[in-house]
Amino acid sequence: MGPLVSQGIIDPAWNNVLALLIGFAFGYILEATGFSSSRKLAGVFYGYDFVVLRTFMTAVMVAMVGLMFFDYFGWIDLSMIYILPTFVSSAVIGGVIMGLGFVVGGFCPGTSLCGAVIGKIDAMVFTAGIFIGIFIFSEAFPFFENIYYANDLGAVKINEFFGISAGMFTLIFVVMAIAAFYVTYLIRKKVKDVVY
Amino acid sequence: MNKRYYLLAGIMIILGMVLALLPEKNYYKQIKPVELLAEINDPARYVTTDQVAQKIIDQDPSIVLVDVRSEKENQEFSLPGALNIPMAELLNTEYTDMLDPATQDIIFFSNSDIYAEQAWIVAARYGFTNIYIMKGGLNCWVETIMKPVPPPSTASNCEIDLYEFRRGACTYFGGGNTIVQADDSKAKPLVVKRRNKKSVAAGGC
Repeated sequence: MGPLVSQGIIDPAWNNVLALLIGFAFGYILEATGFSSSRKLAGVFYGYDFVVLRTFMTAVMVAMVGLMFFDYFGWIDLSMIYILPTFVSSAVIGGVIMGLGFVVGGFCPGTSLCGAVIGKIDAMVFTAGIFIGIFIFSEAFPFFENIYYANDLGAVKINEFFGISAGMFTLIFVVMAIAAFYVTYLIRKKVKDVVY
Repeated sequence: MNKRYYLLAGIMIILGMVLALLPEKNYYKQIKPVELLAEINDPARYVTTDQVAQKIIDQDPSIVLVDVRSEKENQEFSLPGALNIPMAELLNTEYTDMLDPATQDIIFFSNSDIYAEQAWIVAARYGFTNIYIMKGGLNCWVETIMKPVPPPSTASNCEIDLYEFRRGACTYFGGGNTIVQADDSKAKPLVVKRRNKKSVAAGGC
């Protein structure tokens, strides 16, 4: 709860409680949206279900537009927000591994936990795999370290990278997202319905 | 497709267009507190009255002396060639335009250190570089330059040289046993060269 805790508006003792409550809400929404089904998640790769893409693109789009307006009205100071540094090599390698895991296993880390707690065996196996992966990565970190920190771009913003204003990038993103929604709608119409 | 989707998509695109048309927000770049503290602890931001005297005698064009006291105090006594920018006016662009931190060393002074220190911190937060404080202020100036005290006969050559310099400076500045009051009839008004205003960002505050 970033600024509220560090500014002393909420006592730090509430940190874990709030994290738990937000976790409950997040898990509930994932489950309610059907994200605990590996068939639904993998559907985005086979073209019969694009809920994942739509949900995440909508979330990013709404958050983006909302934050930009909040910043404009002075309710939030975007220059004070911490931006994670970009490591290009590890982002690309991590993206490939994550994508492969997604299409093979049918889960992403969050949804696998969601599936595991409602008793899905494939999700439990996937979760176990995550922990094995974390263990191997942690133990072998000195071996990966050079790749991990390679091509550090620092805290770069995508609009600064392309040299356009943040508002212009938001517009481009919104248009691209809505185009993606329409294209996936057309694909969805052509592909045979899968019952699961 | 549900009509609601078209409506929502339209709203998002309109909001996005509004954002694209809004003026880019200029974040005020101020010095980070950590850097400011580091600079405050740096003794290099002080210059001594002797250094200031030397620079005035040399007519060094790279320095600009800034008196941060009130206009009345400035008229009673000040250093030759000093600009008067009262503390309250320090961030007034009418005054800051007189200063060019890029090419000049700005030396703040007041009666003692306190106002000069405040002015220094304000200017540092404002993003000025090459700013200094005349250590001890005008009180120290009077003690060292206007009324130099002869060192004891056992003093080192260094101290004697310093005293000789101060005596010379004292003569230059017309000091001695009496403090020369600024004579309004003779004093030429200081002609201030204003640098060209940098292009101001459109819009904003």
